[in-house]
Amino acid sequence: MGKTALIVDDSPTMRQMVSFTLTNAGFTVVEAEHGKDAVNKVAAGPKMDIVVTDLNMPEMDGITLIKELRKMAGFKFTPILMLTTESAVEKKQAGKEAGATGWIVKPFNPEILLKTIAKVLPT
Amino acid sequence: MSNDFAQFQDAFFEEAAEHLAVVEEGLLELERHPEDLDLLNKVFRSAHSIKGTAGMFGFNAVAQFTHKMETLLDLLRNGQKAVTPSIADLLLKSTDCLKTLIESVKTGAAVDEETVQRLTMDLASASAADSQPSGTSEKKKDGAPVPGRGITRTYSICWTPPDWLFQRGLDPLQIMKELRCLGNLTKVSLDVSRLPHLADIDPEQCYFSWELQLITEKDRQVIDSVFEFVREDSELSIELIETTSEPPTASISAIPTVESDGPKPIGQILVESGVVSTGVLDQALAQQKRVGEILVEQKAVTPQQLEQALQKQRQQESTAQAKKTDTASIRVDTAKIDKLINLVGELVITQSMLSDLGTRFEMNQLHVLLERVAQLERNTREIQERVMSIRMLPIGTAFSRFPRLVRDLSAKTGKKIQLVLSGEETELDKTVIESIGDPLTHLIRNSADHGLEPPEERLDNNKPELGTIRLNAFHEGGSICITVEDDGRGLNRTKILSKAVKQRLISENEKLTDEQIWSLIFKPGFSTADKITDVSGRGVGMDVVKRNLEALGGTVSIKTAPGKGTTFTLKLPLTLAIIEGMTVRIGRETYIVPLLSILESIQPTREAVKTVVGKGELINVRGTFLSMVRLYDVFNLQPEHTDPAKSILLILETEGERVAVMVDEILGQQQVVIKSMEQNFRKVEGIAGATILGDGTVGFILDVRGLLEIARREIAMAA
Amino acid sequence: MAASTTETATKELNQRIGLTSDGSQFLTFNLGDEFYGVDILRVQEIKGYTAVTKIPNTPAHIKGVLNLRGTIVPIVELRTKFSLPTIEYTAFTVIIVVVVQDKVMGLVVDSVSDVLNIDAKDIQPPPKFGDKVDVTFINGIGKSGDKLVALLDIDRLLLDSAVKDSSKDLPVAPAA
Repeated sequence: MGKTALIVDDSPTMRQMVSFTLTNAGFTVVEAEHGKDAVNKVAAGPKMDIVVTDLNMPEMDGITLIKELRKMAGFKFTPILMLTTESAVEKKQAGKEAGATGWIVKPFNPEILLKTIAKVLPT
Repeated sequence: MSNDFAQFQDAFFEEAAEHLAVVEEGLLELERHPEDLDLLNKVFRSAHSIKGTAGMFGFNAVAQFTHKMETLLDLLRNGQKAVTPSIADLLLKSTDCLKTLIESVKTGAAVDEETVQRLTMDLASASAADSQPSGTSEKKKDGAPVPGRGITRTYSICWTPPDWLFQRGLDPLQIMKELRCLGNLTKVSLDVSRLPHLADIDPEQCYFSWELQLITEKDRQVIDSVFEFVREDSELSIELIETTSEPPTASISAIPTVESDGPKPIGQILVESGVVSTGVLDQALAQQKRVGEILVEQKAVTPQQLEQALQKQRQQESTAQAKKTDTASIRVDTAKIDKLINLVGELVITQSMLSDLGTRFEMNQLHVLLERVAQLERNTREIQERVMSIRMLPIGTAFSRFPRLVRDLSAKTGKKIQLVLSGEETELDKTVIESIGDPLTHLIRNSADHGLEPPEERLDNNKPELGTIRLNAFHEGGSICITVEDDGRGLNRTKILSKAVKQRLISENEKLTDEQIWSLIFKPGFSTADKITDVSGRGVGMDVVKRNLEALGGTVSIKTAPGKGTTFTLKLPLTLAIIEGMTVRIGRETYIVPLLSILESIQPTREAVKTVVGKGELINVRGTFLSMVRLYDVFNLQPEHTDPAKSILLILETEGERVAVMVDEILGQQQVVIKSMEQNFRKVEGIAGATILGDGTVGFILDVRGLLEIARREIAMAA
Repeated sequence: MAASTTETATKELNQRIGLTSDGSQFLTFNLGDEFYGVDILRVQEIKGYTAVTKIPNTPAHIKGVLNLRGTIVPIVELRTKFSLPTIEYTAFTVIIVVVVQDKVMGLVVDSVSDVLNIDAKDIQPPPKFGDKVDVTFINGIGKSGDKLVALLDIDRLLLDSAVKDSSKDLPVAPAA
């Protein structure tokens, strides 16, 4: 039974890279360009097993997205990882307060990405 | 490992180019609206994106430089610093520099290190000047901890997670599982003492604590990292209670972790087994030589041969890189593709229904057949439209570089210039957009340099000091029009004429219409500039503009009024592939008229046609006289009718001019795929291209503009 | 690119079947009683005559254009080009599709005859004065057995007849 991942990033390159890695690892991937896009997509779509989101995005940023998702019944306990840059230490705290499960620090490689996801993904 | 992402480099370059455009555009806009927070956020986000993604590919120079820009931008958007002209200028220069840095990783082109250094310093000092330096330190994370092989340690771990653990999607069992992967979890005891009375339990809270004992080869850092996401919010103690050098037997069954795949280097094994010390190994490694050097020493190759081989290697590396960047790509909204896939699905269904019908067709099912064929037609048309729309982009992407250009031109020429953009959302084919940038740049340069007057001259002529260049795009018929309009001095008729005579482009007493005079400026080598300036005036450009446009199947025309200004109108096909056409018949020939140029079709009365000496044949359409072109005459065909009263007149319009074209019959309307006549033949006057008709034969598409010219010439000859 | 690879491939083939590389192969065809040849490397295909669409305002030898699998190919009637009398088309009338400097064109000829190997030494320069044929478009006269073949310079022939646009007279005198 394959798992479904939601990837939220305004950078198409980042989306492609994360999506490529996860697809190769057997995930079904749903991509969204920003928070609002993500909220719209999950409102109609399937249940997600994991969410990976960027923080700095237009329309709706990652922190707001995490807060929004946590309000939804289907996302109450879903692991949500945020992509963050090293310099954004305070962002980690904000993310945690919003309900982020964990974080992946950019730059990362496919191995770190998969390892971190494995860490939080319910089996 | 990070090389796995290398295949996405092209995507990054494409994306970076877009972000750079956003940054540049935003910065220019900020000069005018320094308080616009949305704008600042947008610029910041783009810079941030470049930084983050560049880092993913190990483009550290790009990432570091962008980080400096980002730091300053962050201060601006937090209001800790204000957008001053000098800061905007610095950021713009930095954007240019960032462009070259990105270009450099893309193509291997050299970077002006000095500029990078200087701007890096300027950015840093601008960020530091009157506020605390960005508190975010850039400390690098330590490398992965080296596992102490062969030594096992026993840890005692006590963990009390925060009670909101579940609400962040964290699962304590996951942590147990991860610990188990590290070694042998010999003791797991659950402390439930904090569990409240059943009635008071909130099922979404975590009331547990754990006491664990782990025997592992890994050191403390690795265990620590298991708790990475909860450490700061938990009560956690990890204590080393025992160290042994025996490998724990239990760990054999443990799932191997990701630390090492493949054999270790021999040096590492020697060090680990205690045969040599790290120092000795390092020394030995320092003596290690490259294959090339060893071969030279053994006189197997000469240093020259080696140098050549190395050069070749470098070349191959750089060409490999260059090749990779050469591919053109287009980014498409996934929604567009999803829709397309749905449509293809429908097409497949229609097709299978049709073949099903075909295998056991009877005449009484004719209506079903027709219905399905109609459905097929609908599917095909929709797919075609969708596919075409994939190539359509808003022209704004081509416009975005001009605010900067005008800003720089303004500085260079000392003229005050504002650029007004409109119609940026107008969509047209990607290829056309890519090719239109250079001609437009030439025209804008020309307007700034030749068109607009210096401020003093403008004031003397009761004009506002600030000159205006307007860039506008709009659809007209099947084409897109782009106008470059300035409110400058207009083209100087006498100056152009005398210059043209001097350059022997025309003879002295030649009679030319205004339009012919204006078109002289598109002749190669023509320039009326009194002195050659840095901006334009070398006489290159305007002829190139015309050539580029013609290559795209477009035209350029000029309207000018002395003292009021000049407007260049570029007319380009919307797409290079398909048009909506009206098929018409003249005798036995079929021609296609672009539907968008047809205003109406009429059957004239005999009285409506007038012959006027010097003006040819005119037709009275509700009081307006239009010149009439008999298509059979122009194309030397055998018509069915020579009497206009028995024929059909199509009223066509192009670039605001109208003409009545006489044909025998209108056959119908259809989409036609434009095929080039120039590919294997040459341009034929009055014909824009060819297409393949339903019966497989070739039909010609009328060139309305060309017809107008033919009509005009014939009138001139008759007069 | 494609032309040069076919060229090498053909050369290799020629050598394998014992042809010297300085000889060439020519597709020969008839116009009335006369034999003409075109370099076989220039021939893309031969197809039966099908109706063409006349291009307005072009010289008489431009027969029209044809849809050749989606590309528009101009057709030159060689008889007219060489000022020979026109004849009714027969079942033998064919179109030889040739490639000239990236352009694809068709030649209408009475019939195709043979593919001949003609050694370089058997090719003579064209006669100075031809009364029947405009020798501008003849590269040389080839001899194969007792047959004489006029070898066409199709580059010149087709670029001259098709591509050159003589109808364009600009209102402004050229800069030269």
